[in-house]
Order: sequence, then C-alpha cells, then structure tokens
Amino acid sequence: MSLRAIGRQLITVLLTALIGGLLGATLVRFAPGFGAQESDLNAQLSAEARQALHEQDARERNVLSYYAHYLGQLAHGDFGYSRSLNRPVVELLRDRVPETLYSIAIGVGGGWLLGLTLALPATWKQSPLYSTTAALITGVFLCIPSAVLALLFLVVGSPGRIAIALIVFPKVFRFSRNLLIKTYALPHVLTAKARGLSGLRILGWHVFPNIAAPMLALAGVTVSLALGAAIPVEVVCDYPGLGQLAWRAALARDVPVLVNLTLVIALVTVAANSFSDLLTPSATRDVL
Amino acid sequence: MKAGDRLIGSSAEVRIKRRSSPCVLLVLIAFCFSACSRPAQTTGELRVTIKSDPKTFNPLMAEDDSSDIVRYLTGGVLIRVNRKTQENQPELATSWTIDENGRRITLNLRPGIKFSDGTDFTAEDAVATLKAALDPNLHSPKGDAFRAGGAATVEAHRKDKISIEFEHPIAGLERLFDEIAISPSRMAGKADSSVVLGPFSVGEQKAGEYVLLRRNPYYWKRDDSGHQLPYLNAVRLYVLSNRDTELIRFRQGDIQLINSMSPDLYEQLHSEDASAARDLGPSVEPEELWFNEVRKSPLPEYKKNWLRSRNFRRAMSMAINRADLARVALRGHATPSIGIVSPANRFWFNQNLQPTPYDPNGALELLKQDGFRKDGDVLKDKAGHPVSFSLITNAGNKPRERMGSLVQQDLQQIGITVNFIPLDFPSIIERVTRTFNYDAVLLGFTNVDLDPNAQMNVWLSSADLHEWNPAQKIPETQWEAEIDKYMRAQASTLDRKQRKLAFDRVQEIAAEESPTIHLVDKNALVAVSPRVKNADPVVLTPQTYWNIEYLSLGK
Repeated sequence: MSLRAIGRQLITVLLTALIGGLLGATLVRFAPGFGAQESDLNAQLSAEARQALHEQDARERNVLSYYAHYLGQLAHGDFGYSRSLNRPVVELLRDRVPETLYSIAIGVGGGWLLGLTLALPATWKQSPLYSTTAALITGVFLCIPSAVLALLFLVVGSPGRIAIALIVFPKVFRFSRNLLIKTYALPHVLTAKARGLSGLRILGWHVFPNIAAPMLALAGVTVSLALGAAIPVEVVCDYPGLGQLAWRAALARDVPVLVNLTLVIALVTVAANSFSDLLTPSATRDVL
Repeated sequence: MKAGDRLIGSSAEVRIKRRSSPCVLLVLIAFCFSACSRPAQTTGELRVTIKSDPKTFNPLMAEDDSSDIVRYLTGGVLIRVNRKTQENQPELATSWTIDENGRRITLNLRPGIKFSDGTDFTAEDAVATLKAALDPNLHSPKGDAFRAGGAATVEAHRKDKISIEFEHPIAGLERLFDEIAISPSRMAGKADSSVVLGPFSVGEQKAGEYVLLRRNPYYWKRDDSGHQLPYLNAVRLYVLSNRDTELIRFRQGDIQLINSMSPDLYEQLHSEDASAARDLGPSVEPEELWFNEVRKSPLPEYKKNWLRSRNFRRAMSMAINRADLARVALRGHATPSIGIVSPANRFWFNQNLQPTPYDPNGALELLKQDGFRKDGDVLKDKAGHPVSFSLITNAGNKPRERMGSLVQQDLQQIGITVNFIPLDFPSIIERVTRTFNYDAVLLGFTNVDLDPNAQMNVWLSSADLHEWNPAQKIPETQWEAEIDKYMRAQASTLDRKQRKLAFDRVQEIAAEESPTIHLVDKNALVAVSPRVKNADPVVLTPQTYWNIEYLSLGK
C-alpha cells in the first residue's frame, strides 16, 4: 500500500467524522423537544431558576455557528460542557471510554475465540452435520438483537457484554470458515498435505501466511461491529460506557455530548473500515 | 415530573418468553460466566439505585432526583419534615419561634454538633448557608421558596441562635428548612457534600456506575440505647436507569431497597416473594389529564371553544371510568382520584369532596347543554364538526399508555374519537410549555412538598406552570381569579386553619371546573429486602430509606 493511499484514507476518515459531527448537531438541534428540560415542569423552581437552566440552549440554537465555535474550542482541547450532566464533556468521555473499550475487547476477543474455534474443525472435518449445526447457531445469533441477548445474560446474572461476543462471532466464523476452506484447497497446501506434514505445521506455515491479511482486515470490521453492538448492550445493562452516555444525551437533547460522541464513533468506525480496506486484497472483498 | 420507564427493557423481556430454543443455549453459556460476575455483598453497605448520575453534589443546587437523594442522605437540616408523620420535627435546631406576623423566624441551634470532618458546627455555618441559598446570583433551586419572602436578613445572635427576617411573611416557613442542608461556612454556596452534618458524606463516585456515601463518624444522633447512628457503614447508590435491571439485581441480592416500582414489576416480585413487595396505598403521585386552553394556541377556533368549555371538561371527566383505570392500567395498585390533592396528603386533602361519578349518559347531557349532539355513533358540535382530539403522553411508561388506551375506549362510548399518541418526553414538554400545539395531555406528577404554597407556580393564573393556560396577564376566567384569590389568601396567613379553609375552596373550584382531570392516585409500590432491618416505608420520597440512620443489614 502506498503512502498516497494511506493519506487519502486519512483525509476520508477526518472528513467523514467532521461531516458526521455536523449532521449529528443538526439532527439534535431540529429534533422535537430541543431545549426542553424536565425541570421545565418542576413546580418548585421559579421562572428565574428555570431561565438560568436554559442559558446554554441559546448558544446551541444556530447549528452552524455552534459547530464552528465547537471546532474552534476542540482545536484547543475543549470538548464543551454537558448541560444535562453538568460536567465537561472531556471528563465524561475520559470516564466512559475505558468501559466501552473493555466491552469491545470482550466482544472482539470472545467473538474471535468462538468463531475460530468453530471454524477450524468445520474446515478440517467438512462434516455436513457439523456445518449445518454451526450455520444454525450463527444464524440464530445473527437474528437476535444484541440488546435482547444482553438482557438474557442479565436475567441469569452474567455479564451482558458476552452478548457483544455473540454478535461478533457469526461474522468471524462465516468469514474465516470460507477463507480457510478456500486456502486449504490451494495447490501448495494440498501438496504439503500429500507430503504428510502435520496439521499444525500446515496451518502455521502454509495457511496462516495466506489468510493473515484478510483476517486482519476482518479485525477492523469486527471492531466497528462490536462498537455498534456495545451501544444497546450498555444501555440495557446500564454499563457506564459511551453507549449509555449516548442514550442519556439523546434523551436530554444534549448537543455537546452528542456531537462529540458522533465524532468519536464516526472516527472509530471509519478508521476501522479504512484499515480493513487498506489490508483487504481485492479478491477477498467479496468474502468480507 | 417522572419520565416514563424505558420501553427497551420491557419489550426485550417479552421476546425472551417467545424464543425458547436459543434461550437454552444462552443460559448455558451465561451460567459458565456467572460465577465471576456477581460482586460479593459487603456487610454494612446498603445498596440502592438512582436513575442517573447526580448533576451536582452541592445541596443548594440539587434540582434533579438523584442530586436530591444525595442531599437527603448527606445533608443535616435545621428542621426536618418527618416523612411518616408529615409533621415538622427538630433536627439541628432544637426549637424555633415565628413572630413579626410570620416575617421572622428565630431558631435555637443544637449544641455540641460536629461536621463529618470533626470541625464544630456554629451559627455562622447556618447563617452562611442560608445567605448563599438566598443569593439571587446563585440561582439555588432550594432557595427559591425563601426568596418568595422578598429581601431577607440573616443574623447570628449567639453561637447557638440565628434569625431570618423577610420582607413579606411566608406561610409554612418551617418546612422550607427541610430542603436546606447546612454546610461549613467556608464552603457555603459551593459545598460538595463531602463535609456534612447528615448521617453520610459523599466518599467516592464512579460516573455512570455508582456514588458511595460513607458513614459520618461525628453524626449527632443516637438511638434509644445510646448507640451512635447511623448503623450502616456505607450506602452505595448504583446508577441504574433500567427498571427491569433494577428488579433483576434486587432478586439477585445486589440491591436491597427499591423506592418506586411499576405495577407490572411489583406484580412480578409479589408473585415470587410477597414479603419483599409492599403496596403502601395511595401516594402523592397523581395521574392527570388536561386540555389545552391557551388562547394563542395553533388549534382551530372551534376546538378551542370545546376545550375552554366547563361543560366539555366536566363531561370528559364523567365519561372516564377511573375505577377501570386503577384496576386494569395500574393492576389494582391505584385509587380513583377525588380531587387535585391525594388523600395521602393527610392535612391538606379536602375530606368533603365527592368522587366524580362514572356516568357516560350524564356526560352526554352536559355536552347537549353546549350544543353537542350524537349523529349516529359520532358526537358533533353545533357547527357539525365531529368531536375528535389527540391525547399525548410520554412514550415508554406502560401503565400510562394503557390508561391512554382506556380513556380512548371510554370516550369512544360517547362518540368522541381520541387519537392517542405517546411521544418522547422532551417533545411533550416542548408542546406543553412552548408551542402549545396539543389538544390534551396525560401525565403524572410527584408532589414533593405537601404544602399548597409549593403549588403556587401551578395554581396562580399568572404562573408559567399554570398547566392548561399559563402566564395569563390577568385571569381569563372568573373561577381562575377566584383560585388566585384563595391561593394568595392561604399564602398570606399563618393560621393553619384559615389556610386549610382557603385551600379547601381551591380544591372545590378545581373539582367544579375540572381544568385538570385527576384520574387516579398511584399507590406507592416499594421493595424491601428481608435483610434490611428497621425499614418502615412511607409514601413520601425517599420512601424506603427516609429513616436511613436507623436502617441496618442482617445476614
């Protein structure tokens, strides 16, 4: 891959994130109920107190000037202030990013472990029963929403994050099984088999070098997949991560929080996909 | 105002029952992980939930529910409203006198009290806190009611005596001190609940996860045997916005108390453990419906005429079967409302009011007086417009959504088409307080303060929370002028009997004119783990741990 291609991808990532942020701000600004707060119906508060609580809304009414102001502040490391949570956004992000990273790590790690554990025997044995059962299981997990899975784990007293792994694993299983079957059918692998090399040696020396790049590309896709699944899981399980923050900010029409979250999520997703694009040989894109 | 319970958890739960085969696999996988997930229960640490992170730990700035709970559990106050007796009781002030026709209150402070950091509590601390609360630049929500008395002078007379003198008298002044947590003078106005006079102080916070309150080693209260209170070492407030999750964790023993439950979750718990689920009877949380009577609203003129008609509102009130709402929508855990005040508000409830009868025929008779007539199954006004209106409510609150559907069915009986539309909460607030683009709204309220003075913002026609027609320059109707008169009368006298008489009259006028149609008073539904000793739940907030200093945990 050339430096030029990397540069082009970086610009794409940055532009997409910035446009995403502006669109996020616009959607929130024009969402019904923008600027309305629960305290507006609090009979204990005087009109002056309610007015004071609304001071920040005025600054967010003009989206373009708000966004320009926000980007100016962002250049100086100021992410703005959340009116609904009464804290600087940078503090909110700092507190919650580790939680979401942990969720993503569990999801990606667990998904890959489960996916590869099922894919390798499927490749070696190529038993119709095994393949059908595995396809059925992955199909089931592809159908169930991550929030429902998370709730099930909660009911039995287990961490809801496992749901993210179960969302990721079908993708890993299907992709890696297809890739492995194709690779095991390559002439040099068949020759190695005919020469009586051990299964582990064939995997390590002949198969793995062939599949490393597309698998790394899949890693990028699974990160964005895990991030997408983490948001409803965090909401259902009340994990204090970015998903929960996004949900609460959306309910409160909290523009500064939502703009920052849109930027962060857009950056991670687009960066992960770009990483995947850069690494994926054109022949394997169809499989992905 | 209570935001609705979120739908996501509940709807997901319905799906669980329908998908049995994947469940078996999931349950097996989940059990493999379960051993490492459950935190060990620490003896002496009570665990309860709050719905969101507290916006502030400054007790004078507490406005949201979570901040208010932290304020209650950490703040030492001069006078406390006892949540069980609903009477004022001495706390940091041992006694008080009100004179100058209610303009001045003098409080004698309890001697020998220390803050949680070991420093002495003095009159200076009380004076500094009260001055901060009264400071108009601070915009303290807790000081708002005090500022209604105009300019005030706060003075320390001795180390243990202070007084506040207001420009105007404030009826029910003592109860206002229940909201003011006294902070050290050096922190007044910018306190963070870390140095307190209450039973606990804020020890630690993990955003989005929990707030840990630690026992105040210098707390002044002792039990009958002289043992220093509180009994608990700590209180952990878990941030949990999902009510289904809250119940799951209660069943698992991670949480010991739940202050407020929906009827559905209450029934679930009751079927499993009847002793843990408690129905305390009518609360002070009415469910009410009101019509848009704003003249400048964007509604068509003919519709405005309906909604502003007393007969129309009274007819709607009579055509709604409140008993059904209580029985079906709230699973029997509610009481049909009699008036604007719940019977749970023992002193201020008007005992002479009669319940509105369910009488669809009587409703049609009233409507006939305004020229409405039935044309087949459709009710039409005198100009021939079919009677139809939209009823909005906050989405996700299942009991309220069921109520809306029942109201829709009841009014269909008399030929009225109701378009029932659940919306998200900010949209409702926007319509009700700014654009006035709605016909009728169904909402629930929580009355934190039982005194009618706390409702001046609602009942005065000039108030911006005068729900059905806010911020009137002059009262637009005779009866609103009358309500204004009686609300001002109850606020201007210190004689409790006179105040009661005036507020009784307000309740009577509200019942006659029906600007708000009070439907049911929800029962207070709470959950108490058998591990919690000395729990004595009440209908007022915070229901299960209002007597936190006396609570302890058994094994």
